[in-house]
Amino acid sequence: MKPELGTVGRSEPRKDAREKVTGAARYVADLEAEGALWAAVLRSPHHSARIVSLGTERARRAPEVVAVVTSADVPGQKRYAAILADQPALAVDVVRHKGEPVALLVARTREAARSALGLLEVEYQELPAVLDPVAALEPGAPPVHENGNLLTRYQFTTGDPDAAFAGAEVVLEETFRVQRVAPGALEPEACLARWEGDGSLTLWVSSQKPFEDRRNVAAVLGLPEERVRIVSAVVGGAFGGKEDSGVAVLAGLAAWAARGTVRVVNDRWESFLAHPKRHPAVVRYRLAALRDGTILGVDVLGHLDKGAYASYGPAVAGIFTESLTGAYRIPAVRVDTRLAYTHAPFSGAMRGFGGPQAHFAVESMVDMLAARLELDPLEVRRRNAVRPGDRHYTGVPLDSSARSMERILAELERARKRLRLREAGPGRRAGVGVSLAVQSMGLGAHVPDDSTARLEWLPDGRVVILAGSPDLGQGLAVATEQLAAEALGLPAARVFTAPLDTRRSPDGGVTCASRMTYLTGNALRAAAARLEARLLEGAAELAGREVAELRYQAGEVLLPDGRRLAAGAVASRLAERGARLAAEAVASFAYPPERTPQEYPVGIPHVLHVFCGQVARVEVDPELGTVEVTDVVAVHDVGKAVNPAAVEGQIEGGVAQGLGYALSEDMPLKASGEWVDGFAEYLLPTARDVPRIECVLLEEAEASGPWGAKGVGEMGVAPTAPAVANAIFDAVGVRLTRLPASPEAILSSPGGPPPGERPR
Amino acid sequence: MTVSFAVNGREVQIACDPGRTLLEVLREDLSLTGAKDGCGGEGECGACTVLLDGEPVNACLVLVGQVEGRRVETIEGLAPPGGELHPIQRAFVEAGAVQCGYCTPGAVLAARALLSREPDPSEEQIREALAGNLCRCTGYAKMVDAVRRAARELGREA
Amino acid sequence: MPSFQLHSPSDLAELTRLLLETEGTVLAGGTDLLPRVRRGRLCPAHLVDAGRLRELRFVRREGPEVVLGALSTHADLSSSPLVRELAPALSEACASVGCPQTRNRGTLGGNIANASPAADGLPPLLVLEATAELRGPGGARAVTLPELLLGPGRTSLRPAEIIERVRFPAPPAPSGQAFQKLGRRNGMAIAVASVAALLVLDERGRIRTARLALGSLAPTARRSPAAEEALRGAEPGEAAFRRAAAAAQADAEPIDDLRASAAHRRRVLEVLVRRALERSLDRAARGRRP
Repeated sequence: MKPELGTVGRSEPRKDAREKVTGAARYVADLEAEGALWAAVLRSPHHSARIVSLGTERARRAPEVVAVVTSADVPGQKRYAAILADQPALAVDVVRHKGEPVALLVARTREAARSALGLLEVEYQELPAVLDPVAALEPGAPPVHENGNLLTRYQFTTGDPDAAFAGAEVVLEETFRVQRVAPGALEPEACLARWEGDGSLTLWVSSQKPFEDRRNVAAVLGLPEERVRIVSAVVGGAFGGKEDSGVAVLAGLAAWAARGTVRVVNDRWESFLAHPKRHPAVVRYRLAALRDGTILGVDVLGHLDKGAYASYGPAVAGIFTESLTGAYRIPAVRVDTRLAYTHAPFSGAMRGFGGPQAHFAVESMVDMLAARLELDPLEVRRRNAVRPGDRHYTGVPLDSSARSMERILAELERARKRLRLREAGPGRRAGVGVSLAVQSMGLGAHVPDDSTARLEWLPDGRVVILAGSPDLGQGLAVATEQLAAEALGLPAARVFTAPLDTRRSPDGGVTCASRMTYLTGNALRAAAARLEARLLEGAAELAGREVAELRYQAGEVLLPDGRRLAAGAVASRLAERGARLAAEAVASFAYPPERTPQEYPVGIPHVLHVFCGQVARVEVDPELGTVEVTDVVAVHDVGKAVNPAAVEGQIEGGVAQGLGYALSEDMPLKASGEWVDGFAEYLLPTARDVPRIECVLLEEAEASGPWGAKGVGEMGVAPTAPAVANAIFDAVGVRLTRLPASPEAILSSPGGPPPGERPR
Repeated sequence: MTVSFAVNGREVQIACDPGRTLLEVLREDLSLTGAKDGCGGEGECGACTVLLDGEPVNACLVLVGQVEGRRVETIEGLAPPGGELHPIQRAFVEAGAVQCGYCTPGAVLAARALLSREPDPSEEQIREALAGNLCRCTGYAKMVDAVRRAARELGREA
Repeated sequence: MPSFQLHSPSDLAELTRLLLETEGTVLAGGTDLLPRVRRGRLCPAHLVDAGRLRELRFVRREGPEVVLGALSTHADLSSSPLVRELAPALSEACASVGCPQTRNRGTLGGNIANASPAADGLPPLLVLEATAELRGPGGARAVTLPELLLGPGRTSLRPAEIIERVRFPAPPAPSGQAFQKLGRRNGMAIAVASVAALLVLDERGRIRTARLALGSLAPTARRSPAAEEALRGAEPGEAAFRRAAAAAQADAEPIDDLRASAAHRRRVLEVLVRRALERSLDRAARGRRP
């Protein structure tokens, strides 16, 4: 019989909820700071230009202006890195996208800083720009960087694709285009930086990667890392957009230049133009199959729009490339992914990290195959879905993670059946679409992928987690508190999380890649075992006993004479001697050689996966081309739902982002020559645009995860847009190959939609 | 120039430029930072929602000179510091409607305005009442649940 | 917020004087003006707040007419029983504006004076044949909306002149009206296209008067004389409504923008016209029955 779990599996309340509903939570912009100055950023008005001259004298002389910083003033490295050090803190000689930081101005008030920007005199010589990833790779395209516009190319072949296509009974080809979208965390990027009297620097950040920020700030300021301290404030959402040191670097420079405390708080438009976006993509997908729906092979050419700087692009391109076969067993695969620099605002991490782009293509193709063969789309999926014992095309075995597929398919079938019973409203046509998806966990082979967790027992009896990776709002803290509490046999209320401070917290790595619950959970489990051992040692010493005579139980030490010693009391006695009752452990994402094919570039492949599927029901107004998503059923294998309400919250939020991707979000260049850069035109789904979402949580335990848990942060997004597109096809027979699905595309596609029922 | 108005039941007089936004004054002069700037002062996100004479408005689109003599309620006025949460706040906590929390104060106040006008709202009414409060984390599902839960709770109290 | 001076007059005379003296811009709900100022698209040196003129916020009936104060908010108009009864198209349009926060601030006068082609309130006011009563340094005058609306963001308001009231005759029975709007999302939607219709039937059930107005389909919200002509005296129903919808094309001059192409707007225009007319007929028919 399975041992009964204590807190894992319960929807425990989040400890930060109270301060958030009362407005007491302090995000970076809310922090009080005596005498803080404000920085404003002069940004490029051009896609591509040479900076002929940059005059700062008038601005420096302006009243209330404290400092002006240009790249010439940067004391350390001029460029910082996510993966590749190609991004200038402040533009060096050229600007490569609209919104790129050119100069930094520090003044006594925000208004003074902003209005003094007008006193900076920049002369630009505009240069030709390229804004399309395919055009960027053509001969003669305007170069974005010196070494050409192709940043990364992945070409992998498995099996014999030529034979697969030669032997195919049906071959399909389609080109899919997906748009640039913004992570759109409601809190714009912000940083508060304080230059300390001793020449060190403290920064309060809203970031997914405080330790990386420390490295980048130190590099740009030419300081040793230990002189830079990063403290995590409450983070108002991230979704990949805060896997970026941009504002920390600027704030660090500003505080250094002003020798004071400086705030950098982005306006929304700055967030749009100068922080990571999801890569736009053009995906040409060819698929070879038999008449019974068996997929023999695929041949895919993908172009990803990098924008002007690398950010995490090469890693995104990796997951994109790995995701191109979706949740399917495909024996012959040829993929060619090209990551191209353009003069657009840079792309980088965003929830799903290449997965959503790939899934829109593969899941649309599978539906098209079903339509061509007049087969049930779910049946075609069942025929081709991965099974335990299968290998991903990269060679990674999928045995443990594919176990849930059959249950996912069964749940999708059930949901579809139920949703199909509902009739469309008057004048509308209803359709139901399905999609499967796979999301990898972790950073990929050969990338340092570990997490350190530290636990400390306090004299008051509570256990504190010194988090090494920030909670972005998703609930990492409550999940890890539950995991630590479970490991120690305590109620979750007795465990709490201390905010990340690089001076005290261990490096937990970047909060990203659906890795936290799994990895931090494993680290905490190991740390808890050590903490227990240290407790017993301490108690043995205090009681004059041998460790072997003592037993640990639920926060207490049982002595042989039947007495109990509370852990807090032991901590208290240890504290009297200046000792702490604390323990630390590192967990690493395992890339065992037998599961990890070695022939790939760094970061490829990923070895653990989560699988899911979603069903969407839509009603299409065939006269107006409008789409209303009325239902989404999300079936997700999470291994073990540590906190079911939080897991549902992740899935529901992911689905909403997927719906925005499907129907309304887009950041195009307008006719005016400006990018869409505000929420008036960038249409996030509102409460009236997201339907009821039903979550079905499956728990196929992952043997290597804490209590079986796997990652859940990203996987809600990828299946949603293709499920909606497939539902639209089901409703009106229009196949959308471009996101977002515009009413215009639905009405003007060849043939157009059949008429709906006349209004009654 | 001095502007006088009531904030959370307390009369305040602020000597400042009346052309500053109510949001700036709440955050910078009164240290009431529960109202947030999410969209850059365009009235497109609702994170700065406060109640003006009981009705939800975006504080980024109200100039402080426009609230002379009027009544402003912010999230900080809903429950006494350290005291018991308002039933709507409690419902948001219990329903799991809080993730990053940046939109939460605004959404709670939008819900408060709805429930004071319509004690037993339909799902449609709840979604309409929250339509001006963008949330990027929750997909709104648990926020809608929270408002429904709060309506029940308040109905019991009444 | 970039610097400007805010003035807060407490009566109309002072408002007019301040507008004249400062050459300032009048501020009502601020939902459109303030974002533009914030983004530096508009740099007024003076803003004159009309918000304290409480006497401009009312909804009332004056004999055969409905009179609306220019500072009535969208929320006021969408919740007013009088507007709901006599101008349901306007009530629907106001309910479709933005979100609760916007509707609580945005005003009727602001909606008109902005002269946005996409302003939700304008097509209903056009079919109601509303008159705007203006007040300025030269005194009061009344203009029709077509006289007032010159182009996107352009009106015939004179310097220091403001909209004080809007007045329209209560439609005769049996009549019906409706507002149809197409946006890119459900919440906080801006019109891709909108249509307001008003039908007055004669005693035999034929169309005595038809009025139709288009939003987001031309440089200003405007009536469609061609569609109205096609409906006059006709037997109401699908055939007539389709003819009217096709005829309305003659009065549309849509543009391509981020929300839709001109071609798409032309396509949905006919659908919205038809639906607005069907709904109006339905309401007129219901109004006939005791």
